[in-house]
Amino acid sequence: MTGPLFKREARANYKLVLLFMGILTVYGALIVAMYDPELGKSLQMMAESMPELFSAFQMQSPGNTLLEFVGNYLYGFILIVIPLLFIVLMASRLVARYIDRGSMAYLLATPHKRRSIIATQGVFMALGTLLLVVYVTVLVLFCGGAMFDEQLDVGRFLLLNAGLYGLLLFMAGLCFLSVCCFDQTKLSCGLGAGSCIAFILLQMLSQVGDKMDWLKYLTPLTLFDAGGLIAGESGAVAGFLVLYALGTLLFLAGGAIFCRRDLPL
Amino acid sequence: MSVIEIQNITKDYGKGRGVFDVSFAVERGEVVGFLGPNGAGKTTAIRQLMGFIRPDRGRAEVLGMDCFAQRDQVQARLGYLPGEIAFMEDMTGTAFIRFIAQMKGMGDLTRARQLMEFLELDGRGRIRRMSKGMKQKIGLVIAFMQDPDVLVLDEPTSGLDPLMQGKFVQLISRAKKAGKTVLMSSHMFEEVEQTCDRVVIIKEGRVIAAEEMQHLRQSRTKVFLIDFATAAEAERFCAGGAGRQLDGCRVVLRTSGRADALIKELAGYTVTELATRTQSLEELFMHYYGRGSK
Repeated sequence: MTGPLFKREARANYKLVLLFMGILTVYGALIVAMYDPELGKSLQMMAESMPELFSAFQMQSPGNTLLEFVGNYLYGFILIVIPLLFIVLMASRLVARYIDRGSMAYLLATPHKRRSIIATQGVFMALGTLLLVVYVTVLVLFCGGAMFDEQLDVGRFLLLNAGLYGLLLFMAGLCFLSVCCFDQTKLSCGLGAGSCIAFILLQMLSQVGDKMDWLKYLTPLTLFDAGGLIAGESGAVAGFLVLYALGTLLFLAGGAIFCRRDLPL
Repeated sequence: MSVIEIQNITKDYGKGRGVFDVSFAVERGEVVGFLGPNGAGKTTAIRQLMGFIRPDRGRAEVLGMDCFAQRDQVQARLGYLPGEIAFMEDMTGTAFIRFIAQMKGMGDLTRARQLMEFLELDGRGRIRRMSKGMKQKIGLVIAFMQDPDVLVLDEPTSGLDPLMQGKFVQLISRAKKAGKTVLMSSHMFEEVEQTCDRVVIIKEGRVIAAEEMQHLRQSRTKVFLIDFATAAEAERFCAGGAGRQLDGCRVVLRTSGRADALIKELAGYTVTELATRTQSLEELFMHYYGRGSK
């Protein structure tokens, strides 16, 4: 880790973090506000009338509690896709751009090991994403508390967010590995973002019907099981622990490759 | 032991690009020019010195340390100016210099400030809006500010106006006096001529010559453009010796001898204009090939 570099990245990227917090605030508050304990039944009817569309976006059962409701509507799609956009942007800004434009030469022309330079960027990316998840957790807890009398099961909700971070860490690791391997921004960012989007699409397809169900084995998103976490299933916990492990491995692999490779500087 | 030592490095990018079996050394306190046309492999060789790329074969060492394996220790003693300007565009010039100083672990910015003053650099604006010359100055400040033992400069005067090129020459001679070791690449003979003790000439990835500057200066052909008052005088002068080419009232003279004899001969004529043209690098190469075949 390199202190001055971390500080410089914080200064260069805090506006982006704030922007994403803003977007998440809008979506988070909006979805929480949409929850109506009575409305559950009518939404259920709507979902039954067009099950494919609802299930593609992980909204098959609107749920009877606030926790189930946000679990379906926020943690099924919105809270995966918006942070993914943040992750892709960060991977581009923290690594890909420096390699492609050549300003990495200045970072490496200092008495630091490549390992500590790239570790700084990786940690910054992981922490930035963590910040968004923590923010969303607090936001939903706050909005839920302010808008409804219903008490949200805080323990289960934290577990759900721990799972979400596992999934995001995995996707961040994938993007990080990709930007560490390739020279050109188009390729290095495109490949990381592209594979994450492909995984999301596979999951959506797998939920459309029984025939496509087998597709879920092709996407790591299956390991983040929001419903299972809310129900407190140990299998769901094991799933996201695997995501943490895979994510960490991807980060380490990216760093190791960066240290060994020829750089086009 | 040489400060910079490159032994038989080869980096093959295919299609004849890269460097092939390049070897040369720079001794302590020496200023060496690394000369070659664009695409000759100067930057490729320098990248290996900086530890950005690993040679396919051979070794690159700075102060006895391997440039790839021990690159962080090498960097602690080395100042580098990249050939391509690529700063962090969102920062101001001063902020970027301060950031790199922190990265280099420098607590004292006095020297950076002195350099900015010397190069007349106003670093307050965003780098994005700066001219090429200003960016080049920022690069020079960063390379020199830690007062390193070794300087590796890739095309150091590109984008600088003649006044600043002069100041750059001063910077190099100061560094030389302080016992620093300098390797600078260039495709312009003039800037190398004013600063370097020795030149290494590279073409198509191979070193074709390594010469003392003094020797090179003497053996280099000079081109004089002499305008006479009348065509008759020009003709008379042209008939007076070899290597003279008539063009109306002007005679183009190529000589590798001393200027003294020419001046004395010209005293008998009415000369309206006398100009010298510096031999271009390509002509210099031709000169080398020509001499090699004799």
